[in-house]
Amino acid sequence: MGMKKLLKKLKSYLDKDAELLEEKKEGLSKVLKKLKHKEKKIKKMIAVETDEEELDLLELSLKVVHTQRKKGIKLLSSLRKKEK
Amino acid sequence: MKNNLRKVLLPSVLFVLTYGFWVSPDFKEISAGVAIFLFGMLALEEGFRAFTGGALEKILRKSTNKMWKSLTFGFTAATVMQSSSLVSVITISFLSVGMIGLVEGLGIVFGANVGTTTGAWLIAGFGLKVKISAYAMPMLVFGVVLIFQKSKSLKGFGYILAGLGFLFLGIHHMKEGFEAFQGSIDLKSYAMDGLAGILVFTLIGIVATIIMQSSHATLVLIITALSVQQLTYENALALAIGANVGTTITAILGSLSANVEGKRLALADVIFKVSAGIVFIFAMGPIMGLVDGIASLIGLADDNYTLKLAVFHTVFNVAGVVIMIPLINPLIRLVTRVFSVAPEQFAQPKYLNESSLEFEDTALEALRKETARIYGKATDVIALGLSLDKKDILSGTKMKRVVKAHDKAIDYNIDNVYTGEIKSLSGAVLDYINVLSVDANTARQVSRIRQANQSILIALKETKHLQKNMQQYIASENKYINDEYNQLRIRVAKAIRRLENIRNSTDSSTSILSLDTLKLSLEKSVNQLHERLQVLIGEGHIPSMVAISLMNDSNYTYNIIYNLIQANHNYFKSEEGSAEIEAEHNIALNKEEISSVLSENNQ
Repeated sequence: MGMKKLLKKLKSYLDKDAELLEEKKEGLSKVLKKLKHKEKKIKKMIAVETDEEELDLLELSLKVVHTQRKKGIKLLSSLRKKEK
Repeated sequence: MKNNLRKVLLPSVLFVLTYGFWVSPDFKEISAGVAIFLFGMLALEEGFRAFTGGALEKILRKSTNKMWKSLTFGFTAATVMQSSSLVSVITISFLSVGMIGLVEGLGIVFGANVGTTTGAWLIAGFGLKVKISAYAMPMLVFGVVLIFQKSKSLKGFGYILAGLGFLFLGIHHMKEGFEAFQGSIDLKSYAMDGLAGILVFTLIGIVATIIMQSSHATLVLIITALSVQQLTYENALALAIGANVGTTITAILGSLSANVEGKRLALADVIFKVSAGIVFIFAMGPIMGLVDGIASLIGLADDNYTLKLAVFHTVFNVAGVVIMIPLINPLIRLVTRVFSVAPEQFAQPKYLNESSLEFEDTALEALRKETARIYGKATDVIALGLSLDKKDILSGTKMKRVVKAHDKAIDYNIDNVYTGEIKSLSGAVLDYINVLSVDANTARQVSRIRQANQSILIALKETKHLQKNMQQYIASENKYINDEYNQLRIRVAKAIRRLENIRNSTDSSTSILSLDTLKLSLEKSVNQLHERLQVLIGEGHIPSMVAISLMNDSNYTYNIIYNLIQANHNYFKSEEGSAEIEAEHNIALNKEEISSVLSENNQ
């Protein structure tokens, strides 16, 4: 385990708020990663979909996922700022 | 049965005790020792319960997917908690909400049996050799100080410490009592030899354990009595067999309020312990030889009967488990045949029982599962209310084709199912919630469940309103009216299908976020319908009176879909709060954000 990681662990152990913040950041990162994956998947589906109605829905989904990602990134950066 | 048993037992026990106290002060000391010991067990149980709101359940869920893991979990839990009863209660509770299966449950119970043997070793090897009352006093003091703390875990730790203190104190008083007893009465004169002796003392062991509801307490009594030669070694072994058989009473009592799975587990436990008891009673001679062999192998003196009893207790339980593991499948088949599942009556709750009420986690899981059941039934009703079949809705067939195939109105009375089944079941959910006592965090999750149920009921009510016109207009000769009403049916059916896909999605962690697309598409379709209606009225395709009905029915459709989404939203939100789920909740779009995406989309 690197020194940086060790210090991070020690910090979260000693400071409950820091631990909570760390958990929140980790949770957000994981969800953002999944959303990125979902966005790619929807784009692939859009490329092959022929039904107009389904295409409409997929495009709507893409917009929603994109907005969710934007919101998530904003939240994550505000948490990172808080840490500093 | 539970109450009847207590009605007879309680007065008899009180009478025997009073008479005993009057006759012998030593008996009083021994009984006080047992009482303090049992009180210690209660405190210990209370202490471990403080840790059941998460950690224990998480371990249980993760560590029971294989037989050896179940056995290890049962062994470790019973060793640490020194109580197979608590392990049984937890197992039955988890089993009754389907969080673990019968095989895993049996594995835990078997493991717990072996785990309890450590108690005999501790008492015989440590408890009798040192003055444990000296340890008891500081434990009690520190324990009580911690009990008065606000923190749940400190309080729990305090109960555990005080519980151990009381256990030690109880053992001390039992030991003292038996030592004083030695001077006045020689219980050994009641010793019995041969098979009759084994049978009588086994029966005494069973009765004593049923009364005290703790094999641990019986075992301590046996060991302390044996240590001062108030019992013969053979009779002590028979008592230990009796204690092991008698301890099934906890599982039996615990299963009375459980569902069929809990009852099966209790029966399997009884079969396991009774058959092991019978085998050991009739093979007592050779087994005593085996115990002697093991004792000399580990360097125990020939007359060290207390530790030899611990060896016997271990051999008894380990052998029972080793014999039973290969027979686990026939055992499960047998108990499944005895307690077969009655045909499911929907109006009866399936998961809400006293057993699942025992722990916060199981109670929440029971509520979630019951709500999922109600939701499943409600969507059946909604489909039928719209003259559709849920099976077809959930198939991969294009929705237009599904609706076209069901173009005849079905005469279906939603009210009957609503009042007769769904409302009563939702009522049972509310009753269950009312008796639940949970911490603030779980209370929020429970509140979500309540809201989910409310949304389901509203969706059903709205379907009832929609049904009347729909049945009339899907048979309309006016193609435009017919098309518009079929559009409403398609919208509801599509929402049910999409929600089902989200619910069954393997990636459950983004379920709540997937609902946002549905919310958006719901708002979009409302706008589209209004635009279309303007055109249809303007061009004279639909009479204005029908247009008004259509607008009202469009609102009902909106409410049905909205409430189905809300039901799922609250259902997902009631899930155990990990950081990932919390993040999802924070990312999910609110009403304003959805409107802004919609207006961007329209530009």
